[in-house]
Amino acid sequence: MIGLVRYLLAVLLHSQRYLPALLLYLVALGVLTSDDSGPLVPVYALSAGALFVCGTWLTIALANVPHPVQRAITVVHARGAVPVLVATVLAALLSCAVLAVAGLGFPVLTGGHRVSGAALAVGGLALLACACTAVAVGLLCSRLVIHRPGYALMVALAVVLALLLVRGLPPVNLLLRLLASDDRRPADLLGPVAGLTGLAVGLLLISATATHIVATRRD
Amino acid sequence: MTAATCGVRAGSLGFVLCLRGVSKRYGRGPWVLSGVDLDVAAGQIVAVAGDNGSGKSTLLRMLVGLSRPTTGEIAGRPAVVGYVPERFPPDERLSARSYLRHLGRVRGLHRAGAAARADELLDRLSLAGGVDTPLRLLSKGNAQKVALAQAMLVPPELLVLDEPWSGLDVAAHGELARMIEEVAAAGGAIMFTDHGGAINTFNGVAVSAGYRIAGGRLTGVVPSSAEIVVADVAVVLLESPPDLDEPDWPAGGLPFADGVLAATADDRRVTLRVAGGSVDQILLDALNKGWSVVGVRREDDRGDGRRAGR
Repeated sequence: MIGLVRYLLAVLLHSQRYLPALLLYLVALGVLTSDDSGPLVPVYALSAGALFVCGTWLTIALANVPHPVQRAITVVHARGAVPVLVATVLAALLSCAVLAVAGLGFPVLTGGHRVSGAALAVGGLALLACACTAVAVGLLCSRLVIHRPGYALMVALAVVLALLLVRGLPPVNLLLRLLASDDRRPADLLGPVAGLTGLAVGLLLISATATHIVATRRD
Repeated sequence: MTAATCGVRAGSLGFVLCLRGVSKRYGRGPWVLSGVDLDVAAGQIVAVAGDNGSGKSTLLRMLVGLSRPTTGEIAGRPAVVGYVPERFPPDERLSARSYLRHLGRVRGLHRAGAAARADELLDRLSLAGGVDTPLRLLSKGNAQKVALAQAMLVPPELLVLDEPWSGLDVAAHGELARMIEEVAAAGGAIMFTDHGGAINTFNGVAVSAGYRIAGGRLTGVVPSSAEIVVADVAVVLLESPPDLDEPDWPAGGLPFADGVLAATADDRRVTLRVAGGSVDQILLDALNKGWSVVGVRREDDRGDGRRAGR
């Protein structure tokens, strides 16, 4: 599995298709979260939102870079489509983890926030929830499910915008609203944020299963 | 001859890949394959010939497990399968060497083992253009060599090749034949496809069983490989030189170039079935070696394994 993840990440790195997403994320972090001196948790709402968008992008890139025939060869080597899909999910989560570390650390380093363990935990969980949701959406909008790139882009945009903007829609919009409302102490947010993170993990499992079924349906 | 189901084969040496009543259609489309029965045993080299779109590639994708039969049964697939697809689109910036090393690691080789094996295979196939060239910049022939190398990273128990000779330059044909024979000698099974036509692509691989695929049906064309892949065949009748008192073919080996598909000897006369493209070279060789040409004619044999009369 480690070999597979490493191979998929190597293909992504060489393709350079991670770059637009990475740059967008770094610009978003720089513009939205630096030099702020208010409470820390609302800043993490911005990091997590940016991670959601860019993580979806990265996941689609990761799943789409290998040509279908190349993917078929990988499937034969890995002795099944399931290991390759699991490796794709792990590689996407690892890529998101790199972004999440930046998203967690950057506001602390550049701003004048009062840092607490609870705030960091809430931020970390929120970033994890957005990473899982991003991978879930990215898989469903990849070539594995939607073959035509134009349709895939439209669907991805619609789903990402809906999850970000539709008021009260779990997990992303609800999560970001929780974080942005500054009337609660970080420690009180831990429970609800952890619940939404669990929901995001569940969405990822459902999405991966659905992707596997659709991707192998016509084989 | 073949049982109705795959069943358990107690006591048999090695594996037997078994297909029974395998049919395939995509969605509600037409049937691509219907009622395919096939046994491929360890050590066998099996050829399947058919035209474009006849279902060859679909059959191979099912053999390696990339595709499931719509109806029917496939059993006995061994653990290590090598697959060389018909087209290897190297739309990747990874170099040939690092691509093979990565796949070697996926196969469970250690770092050093994967690197050594990748270099060994690329060396054998003499990849022109360099092992460090990105895959996407390789020519079709060189990309096909990488496709072949990846299937051989771990010696496969089942090696499945989809038109492996097309696109591969002639210099690499011999190496491909050697690799196929190595796999068979090590107890692996090989299944490959080819077009109906080109014998030159066949290059000396002795086939254990041959099939023709047409209209979704697989029919055996045993025992000679000639009928499987040869459409353009000439029959050459030669007489040995007087000083060669006993033409001890086939024990002594045939004194002519590649391209001879089958030969029968009758006293001093030898009848050869020759691939169309090799006739001139074989006649030249024969005359140079003191043989005389008694007759040459085209054999009109395009299907069903029937031979033209002698």
